[in-house]
Amino acid sequence: MTFTPEQSTVTEISPRDLYARLLSAQPLFILDVRNEEEFKRMPVEGHATLRTLNLPYFDFIEDEEAALARLPKDVEEFIVICAKGGASQYVAEVLNNHGYRAVSLSEGMIGWGNYYDVRDVVKADWGRIVQIARPARGDLSFAVISDGQAALVDPLRHIQVYRELIENAGARLTAILDTHVHADHISGGPALSKETGAPYYIHPYDAIHPIDMLPAVIAYEPLRDGQTFQIGQVRITTIWYPGHTLGQVNFLAETPDGGRYLFTGDGIFLRSFGRPDLGGKGEAWTPILYRSMFEWLPRHLTDDTVILPAHFSTLDEDAGNGIFAAPFAQVRAQNDSLQPRSLEEFTSYVLSHLPVFPPEYVEIKRVNIGLVEACEGKASELELGKNICALAG
Amino acid sequence: MPHFDQTLDVKGAKCPMPLVKSRKAITELPVGQVLQVISTDRGSVADFQGWAKTAKNVELIAQETVQENGQELYVHYLRRTA
Repeated sequence: MTFTPEQSTVTEISPRDLYARLLSAQPLFILDVRNEEEFKRMPVEGHATLRTLNLPYFDFIEDEEAALARLPKDVEEFIVICAKGGASQYVAEVLNNHGYRAVSLSEGMIGWGNYYDVRDVVKADWGRIVQIARPARGDLSFAVISDGQAALVDPLRHIQVYRELIENAGARLTAILDTHVHADHISGGPALSKETGAPYYIHPYDAIHPIDMLPAVIAYEPLRDGQTFQIGQVRITTIWYPGHTLGQVNFLAETPDGGRYLFTGDGIFLRSFGRPDLGGKGEAWTPILYRSMFEWLPRHLTDDTVILPAHFSTLDEDAGNGIFAAPFAQVRAQNDSLQPRSLEEFTSYVLSHLPVFPPEYVEIKRVNIGLVEACEGKASELELGKNICALAG
Repeated sequence: MPHFDQTLDVKGAKCPMPLVKSRKAITELPVGQVLQVISTDRGSVADFQGWAKTAKNVELIAQETVQENGQELYVHYLRRTA
């Protein structure tokens, strides 16, 4: 057959369409035509209703009939995806020519990996709390907007998303708050600070690279435990929560209607919690994490405090509407890792649930405090794959 | 650089075209001869490896990355085995 991408009649779906379908929990079938290695490193994940088959596009080029014979017969529509959107178009056309219904994901995994989803967690007369998610990586960040002022919590690398959000809200960015210096992704905080002049806050303990023992060379304002920020009618209080990193903090946002929203960063997740070993000192930091989790933080928690973490591990954690949040009472009930344990039990639980330590996480922390520069190519390479900040389930 | 008999220039072609054209060119190559494929698509390196594992009558002899005018070229050497 002859194939020219320009003349393709294949229907394309955008990353936005894909995400809507992944969230909907309808039956979906993804045909991933990348090579096996790339597929394994970062598949598209969804609810249990998602089925996925990896069948590289070159199998279709080599022997079309044999490849087609491997497709299940009970699929209504195939969503074909590849790295950049070219090979998926090719395979979707092969499928269409043989009577299968198939669509191609435009821009492939690159487009999916860089797709951001923006939606309100809460909107009231005092203002809004907005969740900005990068679903492919399981990364979550937030904006608090009230009376023309805005604060960002854990902004991600593609800062234009935040600038547009704040501009469209007619607000001015007054504080950029990182719950900690991240290891799994590059923070948008320093770049946003440079562009807008808004101060970038991190806890000073995180301004020292834990493995290199070298100090940050970026501009930042040091956070302290108990420090507050007034964003319009919303008060944000800093709560030191060492363990995942030594300078990890939580930010508690209190709204005039009595709402309490806790940005936990990589502290508590909805179904897990942040691992204490990414600084290279897991055994030494585990008792500190224990104290943060079971002694210090509970003083600030009420049953109705809404937990807003910086990551999710699976789409099943969403509240059914693309928002990854839940009241603390619900988190406590469904998150086995938060059940009361003695320090000894906790330590053995942690040490037996540590996932692999991705080697690039050491380098990402260097980038985040300015010890190393990363161009776009290097940055996207470092951020390949999903975050592995939580303990394994 | 391994010995080769013919060259296929697919510079600028995006995935999946380097592989589509290589498959066609190999079919037209006399048995035993080697085809040099010059691509600018970085993804072709892993994809040619994956393809060669199951491809009929094709052996991937070598791959190399060379610089040309500040541009990276990904060069593949394929032998038609039967």
